[in-house]
Amino acid sequence: MAVKIVTDSLSDITSDLAGELGITVVPLYVRFGETVYKDRVEITTEEFYRRLVSEAALPSTTQPTPNDFLEVYNALAKETDEILVIVVSSKLSGTYQSAAQAKEMVEGKCRIEIVDSLSVAMAMGLIVISVAKAVKDGANLDKAAELARNAVPRSHLFAYFDTLKYLAKGGRIGKASGLLGSLLSVKPILTVKDGEMAPLTRVRSLNAGLDYLYNLAAGFSNIEGLAVEHATTPDDADKLVERLGEIYPKERIYRSVISPVVGTHAGPNALALTILEAEKK
Amino acid sequence: MSQINSVAGQDMRDMFSAATSWLEKSSADIDALNVFPVPDGDTGTNMMLTMRSTMDEAYRAPDNSAAGVAHAMARGALMGARGNSGVILSQMWRGLAQGLEDKESFTAAELAAALQLSAQIAYKGVSNPVEGTMLTVMKDAAAAAQAQVDAGNEDIISVLEATVSAAGDSVSNTPMLLKVLKDAGVVDAGGQGVYTILEGALQYLRGETELMRLRKPQIIVSDIPHVVSQPQSIAIDEVPYGYCTEFLLKGEELDPDVIKKRLLKKGESLIVVGDDSAVRIHIHTLTPGNILQFAAKLGTMHQVSVRNMDEQHQDFLEMQKERMPTTDTAVIAVAAGDGLTDVFGSLGVAAVVPGGQTMNPSTKDILQVVEATFSDKIIILPNNKNIIATANQVQSLTEKKIMVVPTKTIPQGVVALLSFDYEAEFNTNAEIMEKALSSVKTIEVTRSVRATKINGLKIKRKQPIGLLDGELIAVGDTNLDVINQLLSRLGLEKAEVITIYFGEDAEAEETEQINAGIMEKYPHLQVESIRGGQPHYSYIISIE
Repeated sequence: MAVKIVTDSLSDITSDLAGELGITVVPLYVRFGETVYKDRVEITTEEFYRRLVSEAALPSTTQPTPNDFLEVYNALAKETDEILVIVVSSKLSGTYQSAAQAKEMVEGKCRIEIVDSLSVAMAMGLIVISVAKAVKDGANLDKAAELARNAVPRSHLFAYFDTLKYLAKGGRIGKASGLLGSLLSVKPILTVKDGEMAPLTRVRSLNAGLDYLYNLAAGFSNIEGLAVEHATTPDDADKLVERLGEIYPKERIYRSVISPVVGTHAGPNALALTILEAEKK
Repeated sequence: MSQINSVAGQDMRDMFSAATSWLEKSSADIDALNVFPVPDGDTGTNMMLTMRSTMDEAYRAPDNSAAGVAHAMARGALMGARGNSGVILSQMWRGLAQGLEDKESFTAAELAAALQLSAQIAYKGVSNPVEGTMLTVMKDAAAAAQAQVDAGNEDIISVLEATVSAAGDSVSNTPMLLKVLKDAGVVDAGGQGVYTILEGALQYLRGETELMRLRKPQIIVSDIPHVVSQPQSIAIDEVPYGYCTEFLLKGEELDPDVIKKRLLKKGESLIVVGDDSAVRIHIHTLTPGNILQFAAKLGTMHQVSVRNMDEQHQDFLEMQKERMPTTDTAVIAVAAGDGLTDVFGSLGVAAVVPGGQTMNPSTKDILQVVEATFSDKIIILPNNKNIIATANQVQSLTEKKIMVVPTKTIPQGVVALLSFDYEAEFNTNAEIMEKALSSVKTIEVTRSVRATKINGLKIKRKQPIGLLDGELIAVGDTNLDVINQLLSRLGLEKAEVITIYFGEDAEAEETEQINAGIMEKYPHLQVESIRGGQPHYSYIISIE
């Protein structure tokens, strides 16, 4: 029986792609005031970002419950006896905990492996896609888990932030806190390092930010997967895709939208470039 | 959501018990907020332990009225108070107990009044109250509660919501009030503790106990500019801090006020609180023996603790080292003017050496700052062409690795600093920063010190003149005129960001005119004007 792959909604894998590759996506939660929504399921990205900028109170986010994972495991266990779960960095979310707790609760002989992607957004998504393709080609659970773990250090996320306000308020600023408090208006470029947000540099304008992201991508010699994501500014992301076409086949660049849960921390106007380096042969 | 108009004693006990668990979850994070020289380096833990003792006593109380529970809490807090913050916290409960005297339960109005009393009594317990601490947070929180009640609000939940929200704002404002916090870039730890306790109480009343189990309190982050201390203040570790001395004094007919007066000159950070049978004393002194001798005459001493604060300071420095950023490279900039110093500080330089045009710092000035800076790899931004050579000399005088990025103007310095790459090695970073210099043009506007002829320009004494990247190429009757000449020569089609640093002698009205003029003429540009406070140059303008 083929391995089933599970990830969380922060992988930013679109539902079309998830269906195509047979991936199950467990949503996190985003909360506005008293109302809790399943990430991307009960609130669309458009609706979310509209409310993020228009409402006075900021939303908050929570991981899936162990039960959310348990239900998915149990449902999949009817079709397979091997499940690979790839989740968001355990340093950014408790999702890993929930996935692991649910594993303990599963009855029956289905084997479950959980991989901490140490990343977020399409940086995790590209790992998931890469592994899903290998599974389609016949990889078993051990092989797939090994592939996923190998891909973790090769996956990179670079993000342009319009503001650090949301990241600071949500308490996930990590080592990027040194970029707070600038008297000049600056746009931080962040990365994920060892599973946490970390500063890269600062630019003064969107165009300088796009240049910087482009140059980062151009610095990689061998790219297996490339994705560009936006929060509220699809045109800016498209501009970046257009330029990236000079160094990588444009039609193979994945385009996605930063999920509401990540958007809660990234804020409007953020852009993300994620790269999965090819394995060194 | 349901409304609550009164809270009885038992509920109040559970409420603060829930708040204590809430605080407990965040005590380590609160500990991490401490800045020296706030001497008890473990505010979160101290407040948490104080609250535990407070609640133990509350559950032992035979009396289940609000008054009975509050009194037990006050007694438990006094007996178990730890550290500066714990003692002040105990005063808060003492005030609450006084405010709830004889009450079976309390209403929103009674709660607001009791919180006011809490804040007042807390202030009284401290010999020298400092704003920007937990005292301020308590005061602001109490005022918000009172304002709600005055507006006719009877629902305890929504009154407490306003209280918590005001406490949060107050916490985030503490760095504005207290320089040590601002320098360290953190909020006050004790204030954060008070906020967390109030937040925990509110969540309990809202019935969110399940959420409280799953979640963790957030440390408030203040979005204030992180300003570096001036180099001369770095020698802080040479100041002796002595011993943090604290104990509980039990006896009869004790008078806290008299004791406070007697101890006032014996040390610093004195706190004396309590009643006629038990008094808690906290003092930082060089002679703890004298304090204990004095107290022994008045009664019996309990929970005596004498800690060497210099050792604590060492521990603190070690801890700071561990919290240093991802990169081991520090950047030092030369700048004149408080505004420019703040700009560089807010962008993360380790130190600013005062200096600039007509006041070039000496090699020794820069060297001193280099030696005092917490890093062995230092990049220097001279920000003036006459200082580059001086900065270069530092290399041969120190064991540390030094690179000088030859920035000739303030805008070049800012651009270099912004391009700093947190992941790059020392040498690579210096290269990246130097490369960035070509992306900026600098306009400097000043006044001619004498009449002269230069570059084909005839210049009168005191006439506004303009430099483009150090080259004198414009003269005019007004600053505005000079700036316009220079901007039109530049061709701004490709520019994106213009930053105007106005000097100490720039006039606000003129600055506004220049600002508006540029925005009107070049609507595609992002224009930012900021106080540089620099001498000599009325305006320094950066074009990126």
